[in-house]
Amino acid sequence: MDELELIPPAIAGPPPAGGFWREVWRHFRRRKLAMLALSFVVFLCLVALFAPMIAGTKPIICKYKGRIYFPCMGYYVRSWENPIFRQDRMLHHYPTRLKELDPKSWAMWPLVYQDPYWRVRDNEWPGRPGNPWGINGKPSRLNWFGTDQQGFDVFAQMVHGTQIALSVGFVSMGIASVIGITVGALAGYLGGWVDMLLSRIIELVMCIPSLVLILALVAMLDNVTNYHLMAIVGITSWTGIARLARAEFLKLKQMEFVTAARAMGASWPRIVFLHVLRNALAPVLVPITFGIAAAILVESGLSYLGFGASPPNPSWGTLLKAGRSAIEQMWWLILFPGLAIFLTVLAYNLIGEALQEATDPRLRQVT
Amino acid sequence: MACALVAVGRSFGDAKKVTGNADTNSAETADEAPAEKPFQLGNLITPFTPPPLEEIEKSVEWIDRPVLDGMELLRKKQEAAGSSVTTEEALTLRNDSPEHNEKILTALGRVPPADGAGVDYNSSWVRHVPGDLKSSNPLFISSITEFEFRKMTGFEYLSYDESINYFAPAEYVVSWKSSKDGLMDKIVLRDDVVWSDGRPITADDIKFSFQVIMTDAVIVPAVRTGVDQLKWVEAFDDRTVVFFHKEPLATNTVNIEFPVIPKHVYQKSIAEDPTMARSAYHAKLEDHPIVGGPYELVRRSRNQEFVVRRRENFYKPHGKQVRAKPYFKEIRVKVIEDFNTALVALKGGQIEEMFIRPEQWVNQTNDANFYKRNTKVTAVEWTEFHFIWNTETPFFSDSRVRQAMSFAMDYEELLKVVCQGLYQPARGPYHPTSWMFPKNGPQPYQQDFVQAEKLLDEAGWTDSDGDGIRDKLIDGKRVPFEFTMLTYQTETGVMAATLMKMSLDQIGVICHVKPTEFTVLIDRQQKHRFDAAMAGWGSGTDPDGSRNSYATGEARNSGLYSNRRVDELFEKGLRELDPEKRAAIYGEIHMILWEDQPYTWLFYRNAFYAFSKKVRAYNFAPTGPYLFDPGIHSIYKPVSN
Repeated sequence: MDELELIPPAIAGPPPAGGFWREVWRHFRRRKLAMLALSFVVFLCLVALFAPMIAGTKPIICKYKGRIYFPCMGYYVRSWENPIFRQDRMLHHYPTRLKELDPKSWAMWPLVYQDPYWRVRDNEWPGRPGNPWGINGKPSRLNWFGTDQQGFDVFAQMVHGTQIALSVGFVSMGIASVIGITVGALAGYLGGWVDMLLSRIIELVMCIPSLVLILALVAMLDNVTNYHLMAIVGITSWTGIARLARAEFLKLKQMEFVTAARAMGASWPRIVFLHVLRNALAPVLVPITFGIAAAILVESGLSYLGFGASPPNPSWGTLLKAGRSAIEQMWWLILFPGLAIFLTVLAYNLIGEALQEATDPRLRQVT
Repeated sequence: MACALVAVGRSFGDAKKVTGNADTNSAETADEAPAEKPFQLGNLITPFTPPPLEEIEKSVEWIDRPVLDGMELLRKKQEAAGSSVTTEEALTLRNDSPEHNEKILTALGRVPPADGAGVDYNSSWVRHVPGDLKSSNPLFISSITEFEFRKMTGFEYLSYDESINYFAPAEYVVSWKSSKDGLMDKIVLRDDVVWSDGRPITADDIKFSFQVIMTDAVIVPAVRTGVDQLKWVEAFDDRTVVFFHKEPLATNTVNIEFPVIPKHVYQKSIAEDPTMARSAYHAKLEDHPIVGGPYELVRRSRNQEFVVRRRENFYKPHGKQVRAKPYFKEIRVKVIEDFNTALVALKGGQIEEMFIRPEQWVNQTNDANFYKRNTKVTAVEWTEFHFIWNTETPFFSDSRVRQAMSFAMDYEELLKVVCQGLYQPARGPYHPTSWMFPKNGPQPYQQDFVQAEKLLDEAGWTDSDGDGIRDKLIDGKRVPFEFTMLTYQTETGVMAATLMKMSLDQIGVICHVKPTEFTVLIDRQQKHRFDAAMAGWGSGTDPDGSRNSYATGEARNSGLYSNRRVDELFEKGLRELDPEKRAAIYGEIHMILWEDQPYTWLFYRNAFYAFSKKVRAYNFAPTGPYLFDPGIHSIYKPVSN
């Protein structure tokens, strides 16, 4: 018998290495709650991205006077809605004015004809009654989640509020990550007086309460936007990330691959950002995920207290605030946004927890 | 006493009263007082030596002015008017229509008989205020909480009825006369009025109070307005005081009414501590003030509550009853900032009165839970709300732009939705039920985008670059029409400003809404650091009080509006003594302001109050239910409770 034939095919060679991230994903997938949470966050991202197409009073696409327009883009940036519609007094009257001014026009409408900044009035959509307001604004066929004191549709506000919640989380933690990882990497890798200096800076920043900074900013600025809140939350919440990154870099810089890279003459920025960073990233992802949840809570809390972005600001916290004044009568102003905040924060926390376990072999559940 | 600046959608707890004299701006604080200058009592008064009383009596022709019992006055009016329902019937009514409101007011507003039969003199009343009592010294009154405290505890030799007719209260005053030439007022006090420490209240106390008010080291936030129009106040004996006016003005009566403090208490201490608050002696007086009114302060927990108790030596100064006994043994005033919390307390019986917000009136006070212990009433109040345009900014210097702003506003939505259909559309600075409102007054603005755009085009604000935002070339630079609107943090304030923003957006004007904390809002208005702002004026008892809102260079003219004719008319109105001619003058001012639109007037706000069913005899003046005479003093609890 040929000697080679004795070797079973299974041990002909080791299976291809899955890599660290594939391994993390494999472990992450095993946690059903975490996967559910991830699906929820993906769903929220889609809602946020397509909010003007889900709930709005501006056509997604329309043909008007021979040209194609996308008026719903005005929900993202005011100037993206062609000025012709303002000139033709189309705002809040699209359904009737389009046909009135151009009988040949056509339009594709959002799934729900409601506006987060405006009370839909009688016959704004032909034959449809206006939104009720106050305690009469109970959830109904036309207003799924009811309306607020001013008659603004709660569902539309929640859909557009998703943009705020998610963007505040992502952008602020994006800023925090960039600062935190950079500072942590430099402190951990370079060590010495750089480490000493940066560590003291980290401690200093940890002493600054972001809420006080935000309140000061709100007092100073005339037009507070969510970007301001994102910036403040971002530049005050990077310290945890920096400390973790520093610890990882302190550990990794002793590894052989770093010594090898150094021996081959690689510059320190190349070693830090190309070789060490990719290995240090996994543990850092965990505080980032928890940070997103915290940032969403901060934004909602600020809006609830009336210190959020300038009105009209269809944030979930703003809705909660509106519900507070009539909590006994207008339960829908508390229930829906409260649930949204709770589920979103829970989802991020579940994802963070699962990531923590998936990236740290010591914490993995025995299955 | 001039107008009060009020917060939209909430009670007068935050109300501010600002001095009309630019030299004595209320923005000053005690810290800014000229500390180095030696204290000189009355240093703002031009020295004057009054002639002897005998000489005055010989040369002056006096006109008798009314000395009345406010309670008796109201009682007679009510007896003449009658009531269509009994008290019991009124207590079962739900206030869901103007007819029911009227029935509740007439039945439950009835004052008790003169002998006090049926009044439970051992009862106490728990009131609500949204802001704490900042000072118990009547010279430092600023917010409505302090005005009401003064009404409960203060000595008043002049007051007004529910129709704003002035008289001297018979419980303090024997006679009040004005000289025919309008240069003097003489008041003779009763000899049985005493301070809470038992010392008599004398004419000298009034003179001393005048001198204190007119001392620059004493920072009085509100009461110097009007008093500064007096030439001198002289006490000729313990009971006779004569007020000397600089000139015969229509506001002379209002000018002689100011808070009185006991001379024997402050005479020595004021020079050492002109703030009347910092020294240990004054700090002690803050918590235990010597007062001259029906009640005295007995307990005070900062930001929680204060308690006033009936003064026995008020109605029985020397052991014998000489005036009506105050109806309550004790009035507790609870400080609850949050109106929702206050309403819960009212429904639970922890408080027995509160000013309610319109959304509470509409949504939260219609159920059996509310009516179990309480009822509610509404009445006309001379309070208007508006957007102020800063005429010094490039945006609003042109009256056409301001008119365009007024045409842009969605009043229908404002009144129907934001104001819950409870307020009336504004027709200018003066209330249509007031005597100064013009005979053929203007009609409210209606939203008209075509007119608004036409006016903006005429004023040079066009969309020159086609970006959907109007702009104008100013000093060679293209300026977009983008401004910030400061507003109250209340729901009504935010919603009204947001509605304006959305309306302006449709005509290519960008408005950023900034809800601003009340004191910051006032500060920025006083310093003119704003483009546009929401504000409200509670009307005073005389239209001259609005001079410092609209006349050139005045302290409260935060929008820096200026119109020479308006200035002239205010001067004329001050000196015109004929009521009809005077009304015509203020009517003309009203029409000019309406044409110029320094403000976009939004709505007139009524008074909305909830009272416990245990409480009776609440009535309303255009200034609210408490500050007129008898006002708060007619309220009582019947024995059966």
